[in-house]
Amino acid sequence: MDCGTAPGKILAKADGLLPREEAAELAGHLAGCPACAAEDAALSATGPLLRALTGIRAMEKAPALDAMWTRVRAGIGESREARRRSSWIARWVWIPATVAVAILALLFYPARTDRSPFHPSSFDVAVEDVESDVATVALVDKGEDLPRVIWIIEDAKS
Amino acid sequence: MSEREKGGVPDDALIRTTLAGDDAAFGELVERYKGRAFAVAVGIVGDGDDALDVVQDSFIKAYYKLKEFRFGSNFYTWFYRLLVNQSIDRWRKSARSAEVPFDESWLSEDASPPDSFAYPRTPEDLARDRELGDALQRAVDALPEYHRAVIVLREVDGMAYDEIAKVLGCSVGTVMSRLHYARGKLKESLKSQREG
Repeated sequence: MDCGTAPGKILAKADGLLPREEAAELAGHLAGCPACAAEDAALSATGPLLRALTGIRAMEKAPALDAMWTRVRAGIGESREARRRSSWIARWVWIPATVAVAILALLFYPARTDRSPFHPSSFDVAVEDVESDVATVALVDKGEDLPRVIWIIEDAKS
Repeated sequence: MSEREKGGVPDDALIRTTLAGDDAAFGELVERYKGRAFAVAVGIVGDGDDALDVVQDSFIKAYYKLKEFRFGSNFYTWFYRLLVNQSIDRWRKSARSAEVPFDESWLSEDASPPDSFAYPRTPEDLARDRELGDALQRAVDALPEYHRAVIVLREVDGMAYDEIAKVLGCSVGTVMSRLHYARGKLKESLKSQREG
């Protein structure tokens, strides 16, 4: 093993993936190579240093951490109240919403509709055919384009 | 390790009691996991106050999602997924995420060997070596967020690779790859700091 291959082996050792025989070979190299030994020491130190760093943060915040359940319980209480309020609103909001829709419908329906209200003057009653005492009578919607037969009585007795 | 393994009231039983309406049982779960949760959160967000908020929010979220918990699986794996996501969200929203560029000079390979290989191994020792602690924090902050989560879960919490994969929703191979990368970056920062 040399300084070209050792760094890869050092990382593999840290990952727990270095076979036992290669670990022994690496140990032999590290004993005689200060540069690779420094590499190994720095890598081996990352875990303990990270734990030490979080340990310092935990010591700094120990009183607040001791009161965590109190904080969580208070947060659950606030959240429960907020959910209760929003659920109450959701349960009753349909009443003003329905009233508002009804008012809007009353205000705007006649103006917005394309259909003209029914008016007899827009219809023609035509006698299509008369033969002695029998007639064919039709109710025709004149419309804007083509006339449309709405109702027809064939061979009605006069 | 769950409390079931340590001989206490199993997590599952506490969850069932909580679901039945006894909040004190959830308090027991909070007491049981708050320390580990804080260590993971502070490892990811970097700031102690932010980490406390993250732990609190994660427990509250867990309380309301408890009915979605699948009995038979590990509570802490399920909870850690919430915790890590909350931590990463917090990190993204914090100003710290924008102010810590990674110093590429730490990756220099032609540095000379250090005089001493000894690094502090306890919080008390590290507290005395403030420069090293700051350098380490900068190096952790400069890691991509999921790499940071992986190395914190592995090195601080001691989670197994497959558990980390479950928490992060990725493969074991991805976990190992991220861990490999993160360790390499931290190692370079330590060497660089030690070599001055």
